[in-house]
This record gives sequence, structure tokens and C-alpha cells, in this order.
Amino acid sequence: MTAATPPAGQPTVRARPGVPAATSGVGGAVLLVGIRIGLWLGVQLLLAGLLITAGAAATGQALDEAASWWMVYGALVDLGTLGVIFWLLRRDGRSYRDLLGPPTAAWQVALGAVAVLAASVPAVVFSAEFTSAVYGENLAPMFAVVDLPPWASVVSVLLVPLLAELAEPVAYLGVILPRLEARLGRAWLAATVVVLVWAGEHAVYPLLTSNSGGLDWAFAVYRVGSVLPFLAIWTALYYALGRRLLPVMAARWVFNGGTALALALGLVE
Amino acid sequence: MPDRIILYRLTWLATALSLGHHIDHVIRHNAVGWPLTGEVNAFTMSLVIYPIIATGLLLYRAGRVGPGFWALVSGGGAVFVSLVHFGPGALEPPELILDHYDPPILGWLAFGWLVVFVAVLAITSVYETRTWWEQRQARRAAQPATSAEAGR
Repeated sequence: MTAATPPAGQPTVRARPGVPAATSGVGGAVLLVGIRIGLWLGVQLLLAGLLITAGAAATGQALDEAASWWMVYGALVDLGTLGVIFWLLRRDGRSYRDLLGPPTAAWQVALGAVAVLAASVPAVVFSAEFTSAVYGENLAPMFAVVDLPPWASVVSVLLVPLLAELAEPVAYLGVILPRLEARLGRAWLAATVVVLVWAGEHAVYPLLTSNSGGLDWAFAVYRVGSVLPFLAIWTALYYALGRRLLPVMAARWVFNGGTALALALGLVE
Repeated sequence: MPDRIILYRLTWLATALSLGHHIDHVIRHNAVGWPLTGEVNAFTMSLVIYPIIATGLLLYRAGRVGPGFWALVSGGGAVFVSLVHFGPGALEPPELILDHYDPPILGWLAFGWLVVFVAVLAITSVYETRTWWEQRQARRAAQPATSAEAGR
């Protein structure tokens, strides 16, 4: 069976020219999502445990203390994701470049990224209004909790957003989406599932505690709701751009890197 | 799915969302103009989109306009609606929608509708621009071949 041949009994989504067909099965997709969620939870809990063991944080505060580093330890999650992506690629005899879609000139990436940023404006507005409705004038908790020394801020601005773009959209749009399309046979259904799962992943980073001491589930729901429009727009744009991933990655890098820079410089309060 | 069918579907979707947003204006009755009031404002100007869409559909069917036309219409629409509702000096900021419904969930529904409307316009514009570009490239690629055939 070739990489372009779905297993027996699975519907086939027509391959577009220049776009490699998905490899067989959704096992790789489930593995990727599981690894990402597992790493987000595992790394934060491990860090919280280390803080307690070292006496650097009280038991009730360790989770929030660990959460203050989420914009740094996210690099470990993305490195783990890249590890799984390369393992899947090696198993299927494909290259990382295959996941990025048809050849795209530098000017097309730049122009596409500008279009992605412009099309993200409705999501920015919705997210801002949603944050105001839930938290008033306060900064959203995932940003308010961040408290990093200067060297870690540099890492969060220069390294983490870059790793995130090499891993996160490639995992969801380059690996998981084509596999779901092949399994479900309907692109819109596969895209909907991807957007919902991708948004759902955001509920676990970071985990925060509520005033009552338990997990802050309201924050988890807010986190999913605030990010959902972004992910829906970016996934739709991935299709609109002919499955070219680089413009989406470039725009997200500007967006997330800019947010990290603004936080590091104390421009958002 | 052929580009033509996708273009029609996106156009109908954007039209339905536009109509829904105009109905939202009518229900709120706080940012309306002629023909509901005597004032000519952004609401009045925005109604011009329906004759543009109707004309565009007729011309598109006749092969007189292509995806480039629709890219301009949807892109222009996205910019216009964004400036009116989301821009720094927005005439009708989100609060004008969110704070004028009871229960508030209806305000969020109307605001969510507006967000989806602008997003669909922007995504449609990107899709149609790419289609226009690809058709242009295909025509250019076909031209030398046609010229060579004619020269034989």
C-alpha cells in the first residue's frame, strides 16, 4: 500500500495537485494530540512537584507558580510534538516539507501572512470583548500569571514562538487534518473536529487554581472560547490559501511572538 | 469541488450573513438610517451591497467578471464593516450591539454573527484572490502554447 492509498473501507478525499495525500490511519493524529496534551499537563505538574520539593512554593501555590513559566516550558511540548512528527514522517517515508503544502515563493508567504493577520481582526475583537466580559479591566489570567526573569523572557520571545510555529500548526493542519479528511471523507467535518480539538488543547495550558483552591474550570472554558475564533479562521485560511501552511505559520509567529514581546516589555497590564 | 461552485456558495453565505446583520440593525434600531429613518448614514450606504451582489452574479454567470471582481467586493466589504464596527474610531463599536439586547446572550449572538460575517468576507476575499491569481497564471502559461500553435 502506498502513502496515497487509504486502507480498505476508508473513504478517499481527492488529492489536490502538489498536496501529498494523508498517510493511513488516524493513529498518528491521536498520538500527536495525546502527546501534546500529556506534555502540557506532565511538564506543569512535574515543575510544580519540583517547586514543592525544593521548598520554592507551598503545595497550594505550586501549580500557579509553575504556570508562570508556561510561555517557556511550551518549548518542551513543541519539541516533543516535532519528535512525533518526524517519527511519523520517517515511518511514512515523507519529508517535513511535504507537510507545508505546495511550493510558495517568499513574496507569497509575506503577502499571505499579511492577509492572515488582516483576516484575524474579527477574532482579535471577539477575544478582547470576551476577555472584558469575563475579567473586566484585568489582564487575561494566562498572561497575568506569567512572571519570568529576563533570560527566560528572551527565550519566550525568540525561541518559543518559533518552535511553536514549526510544531503546532504543522501538527494540526499538516498531519492531523489530512488524516481525518481521509478517515471521515468530508473536509468540513474533519476541519471542524480539528478546530474543536485544537481549541480544547488550550484548556490545559496553563492549569490554574481558583480562589477555592480547586482547578479553575471557568478559566479553562474561557481559554477555549477565546481561542476558538482564531483557530477557525486560520484553518479556513489554510484551505483558502490552497493548503499553503507557511503564510499561516508566519502570521501566527508575528502574532504570538508579538504577544510574548509585549508581555516581556511590560506593555500589557 | 470546482472553484465556481465554491465561489457561488461563499457568495450566498456572505449574502445571508449580511442580511442577518442588517436585520440585527433593524431589531436594535440604534444604528439605522434611510429608509428606516430620514438620515443617510453607514447603514444606508451598506445597503448598496445587494444590487452589487445581484449585478455581480449576473455578470459572473455571463462570464463578464471573474474571481478578481468577487475578491474586491468581499475584501471591500470586510474593510468597510471592520472600520464601522471594529476600527479605532468605529461609528458602531461592539458595545452598541452587546449592550442593546435583553437577555444579553442575544447581544452575544448578534455580535458573534458580525464576527463570523467579517471573517467569512475576509476568508472569501483571500480565496478569490488566490483563484484569480491561479487563473491568471494558467492563462499566461497557455498563451505561449497557443501562440506556438498559431505560428505553425
